[in-house]
Amino acid sequence: MEIFKADVVIVGGGGAGLRAAIAVAESDPLLKIALVSKVYPMRSHTVAAEGGAAGVKKSTDSYDYHFHDTVGGGDWLCEQDVVEYFVKQAPIELTQLEHWGCPWSRTEDGHVNVRAFGGMKIERTWFAADKSGFHILHTLFQTSIKYPSIKRFDEHFCVDLIEEDGRVQGVVTIEMSTGEFHLIEGKSVIIATGGAGRVFRENTNGGIVTGDGMALAYRHGVALRDMEFMQYHPTCMPVTGLLFTEACRGEGGFLVNKDGYRYLQDYGLGPLQDKPKNKYMELGPRDRLSQAFWYEKQKGRTFEHPTLGSVVFLDMRHLGEAHLRERLPLIYEMAETFMGLDPAKELIPVRAGIHYTMGGIKVDAKCAASLPGLYAIGECASVGLHGANRLGSNSLTELVVFGKLAGDEAAKYAKAVSPGNSSSLLKQAQAIEQRILALKTKTGGTESIAVIRKEMAQSMEDGCGIYRTEDTMQATCDKLAELRARFKNISIDDKSSVWNTDWLTAVELDYQLDVAQTMAHSAINRKESRGAHQRLDGPDGAYTKRDDVNFLKHSEAYYVADGAPRIALGDVKITKSQPETRAYGAAGEKADQERKASHV
Amino acid sequence: MSKRKPYVRSMDGWWKKNPYFVEYMIHESTALFVAAYCLVLLVGVIRLGQGEAAWNGWLAAMQSPLSVLCHLVLLAGAVYHTYSWFKILPITMPPVIVGGKKMAPEALTGTALAVAAAAGLALLALVWRIAL
Amino acid sequence: MSENHKIIEIEVLRYNPESDEEPHLEVYKVPFTDDMSVLQGAQYIKDNFDGSLTFRWSCRMAICGSCGMMINGIPKLSCETFLRDYYPNRIRIEALAHFPIEKDLVVDLSGFIEKLEAIQPYIIPKEPKTLAEGEYLQTPKEFNAYIQFTSCINCTLCYAACPQFGLNPDFIGPAAMALLHRYNMDSRDGASASRMELVASEEGVYNCSAVGYCSEVCPKHVDPASAVNINKANAAKDYFLRFLSPKGGSK
Ligand SMILES: Cc1cc2nc3c(=O)[nH]c(=O)nc-3n(C[C@H](O)[C@H](O)[C@H](O)COP(=O)(O)OP(=O)(O)OC[C@H]3O[C@@H](n4cnc5c(N)ncnc54)[C@H](O)[C@@H]3O)c2cc1C
Ligand code: SF4
Ligand code: FES
Repeated sequence: MEIFKADVVIVGGGGAGLRAAIAVAESDPLLKIALVSKVYPMRSHTVAAEGGAAGVKKSTDSYDYHFHDTVGGGDWLCEQDVVEYFVKQAPIELTQLEHWGCPWSRTEDGHVNVRAFGGMKIERTWFAADKSGFHILHTLFQTSIKYPSIKRFDEHFCVDLIEEDGRVQGVVTIEMSTGEFHLIEGKSVIIATGGAGRVFRENTNGGIVTGDGMALAYRHGVALRDMEFMQYHPTCMPVTGLLFTEACRGEGGFLVNKDGYRYLQDYGLGPLQDKPKNKYMELGPRDRLSQAFWYEKQKGRTFEHPTLGSVVFLDMRHLGEAHLRERLPLIYEMAETFMGLDPAKELIPVRAGIHYTMGGIKVDAKCAASLPGLYAIGECASVGLHGANRLGSNSLTELVVFGKLAGDEAAKYAKAVSPGNSSSLLKQAQAIEQRILALKTKTGGTESIAVIRKEMAQSMEDGCGIYRTEDTMQATCDKLAELRARFKNISIDDKSSVWNTDWLTAVELDYQLDVAQTMAHSAINRKESRGAHQRLDGPDGAYTKRDDVNFLKHSEAYYVADGAPRIALGDVKITKSQPETRAYGAAGEKADQERKASHV
Repeated sequence: MSKRKPYVRSMDGWWKKNPYFVEYMIHESTALFVAAYCLVLLVGVIRLGQGEAAWNGWLAAMQSPLSVLCHLVLLAGAVYHTYSWFKILPITMPPVIVGGKKMAPEALTGTALAVAAAAGLALLALVWRIAL
Repeated sequence: MSENHKIIEIEVLRYNPESDEEPHLEVYKVPFTDDMSVLQGAQYIKDNFDGSLTFRWSCRMAICGSCGMMINGIPKLSCETFLRDYYPNRIRIEALAHFPIEKDLVVDLSGFIEKLEAIQPYIIPKEPKTLAEGEYLQTPKEFNAYIQFTSCINCTLCYAACPQFGLNPDFIGPAAMALLHRYNMDSRDGASASRMELVASEEGVYNCSAVGYCSEVCPKHVDPASAVNINKANAAKDYFLRFLSPKGGSK
């Protein structure tokens, strides 16, 4: 087995992993960094982010506003000290990206421009046309090339962490082009493997977004926190799930039902606005908009498309071709190529689809997990920024703010500890190799990976959708237990070594099943409605409301070998914002004024 | 030992594999037509230097039916070369900014072709006048 | 998938380095609906007929650059190419041309990545600025000078379209040159002189014979051919400047 001795190992080459790698390299050029990614870094799913990254920019804005938008948006399940740190670092890190060459869109006078985004009181979303994630990712990847201490392991698939003497000491990877195993030793390990949206059926995520890092940490005893909170995005392409960014609405697009009626005014987001107005109508938060879609469907006011199913429409016709081409070029092209329609002339059929994993590996305010030496950042982590519902454009900023912090912390840790015992690390790595190889070499299996994957995704959609009940969630929990058992009996067609994606897909499915279980079990355990977790049941409908007495708590899922996860509840850090009613539109404005009045 | 065995495909006959490449090869080969005509003219210049008899002989040869046919073929080649050369012009030069906007490739090719046609006609008119 | 689906024949160039001497074609009959991309066709084969079929993909929305293939001989992103446009004819998919085939539709991209790394693809500031001083300003004109060349998704379709790269794999090639040009044109950058050496080198722009197909197939309108050709002129200018003054040119 090939061995590489690094100081800091980073698993994940998306925005978060790259930012961390650069931070380590800048903090001490003598530290050896191993950057592991199962795809070339610029293929990471950060590439797909369209809308932009939030950070205070305008003189009329303030850290406090950003803080309150985030905490209220998260339905008070955010770690408030983390949010305070975040909002202050955000503009610094976004400026850093500018210095590295990120082509942020500009105003006529040459400054970085900002746009409106859902749930944000003031325009503060930095954007690079509608390819913000693409530009951030390529800027970070290209900048990372400047640092000789970053050694990349591209197209290396991480199969396990190595734990010894009570701390993490490295990872084991499969080099995809050869099928050979590598041991990468490290004094600290940062996990930055992205979200887990692919456990659901209709989603905006790329094929690689399978929750690998979450499952790895989870199996080593680290809690996965708040996994029941999965964000639905209200404007996705039906069937494929591809995303029409929130910026479509930030730029002034409308959502209408089959009668051409702007239905959001019926769901506490009104009154009607002609121009985009922050926190009103189409610029309400995502959970509310997705829920409104669900109700429209119940009322029979969605359009029943013969092949696409139930849809509502995104109307951008009034914005005109020139404006759309300039501000939303990617969206324009996607509508043309994937749907064969012209957004300047036609309505775009859309519906809600799975988009973002709010929960993740539980880490503290310094990104450290409970296993010493282990850090987690980005969508795979739960640092406590998003609470029960993430505000659009906070997560791209999260990548760079916490990527930098984790890089600094992991570098410090690596310098403080001594290297481990290489021979016992190797022994562990060899055992891992045998275990993973067995999955491929075993014979006589009858279950198909594709079938299990499909059943899992369907069951997650059925049980952990926009609205949930005890029965449907229980059915999903049972189904997942069944699939876990059936997984033991899978068959893999491809027995070769070079580029064996059949085998790696099976490893991914194994991760996905773990992650799916933590979601379903955390969900059924939360007997209230908050943010993205909405229930329709309970005695006298008790669970349809938020319950701060019993559930102003994080859910924490712990691994139990060969069984369902154990769910515990953890405290929420509250510094300056006490839970209130979460209101948008005119009601929200009124609540804001009342709050201000009572503070004076 | 790694089990990799990357397979490198042969480039033989690459230009036949795609209509675009065929067109490219035709474009490149019509450069030969232009070169051939240059040779013809060069011979004329040499003949001119060798005295009047040589020059008249060359002029006579130029008027033979075979030579006229040859000229037509060469002209066709040269015209095609010009046309296809201007078609790729937009990608071979820095962007032309007109009124703050980048000029569209079609417009650029169109302009270049128009200028070439005008220059050709002007030259023709000039030569025609001298000949008369 | 709806009930009354049509069936399209997909012919795939298969190659398994551990059992095959050379690639061969295999045909699959794939039921499809009008919204299915060629990538989904390949996924259907992998999920239902042969799990060993190997290809790269991720985003499904033409932005990650993973899924390039030769589709009926033309380099395309398979996620934004639709089966309906080929039906009822048979469709053939092969690994991107001019690259070594690792397995089935997966090619060896390590050479391309090395080229990206070689061109110093990062800002080397003309005037360093601290973060406290805020962002660099860029006028619309300065912005427009480079923005087009930032759109490259590294899909390498342009390399599969470039016969000169096929003939000389060391040629730095269209996308890497476009990226180099992107940094040279950025008003924040001050290192174009140090990138010039590579431009004019043996692997540099003079390998290009202006076929122009790279720009034709580019799914993101980067126009890499123009970046290459503008740099031919730049390299020539640089070369002559070096004779004129010791300070001109890159060395
Ligand atoms: C369509 C879309 C649009 C979005 N738009 C916005 C937006 O406008 N604003 C915003 O703020 N957020 C947006 N988001 C969310 C945001 O883009 C993501 O949360 C963020 O990019 C995640 O980044 P990451 O670095 O955590 O993970 P990723 O970019 O997903 O990277 C994960 C990395 O981990 C690697 N990896 C995973 N598993 C393994 C393994 N087993 N072995 C080795 N490597 C592994 C992968 O190769 C990859 O490099 C959007 C998300 C989507 C899907
Ligand atoms: S220049 Fe165009 S074709 Fe070439 S890699 Fe970039 S996006 Fe792909
Ligand atoms: S799958 Fe990402 S470009 Fe096609």
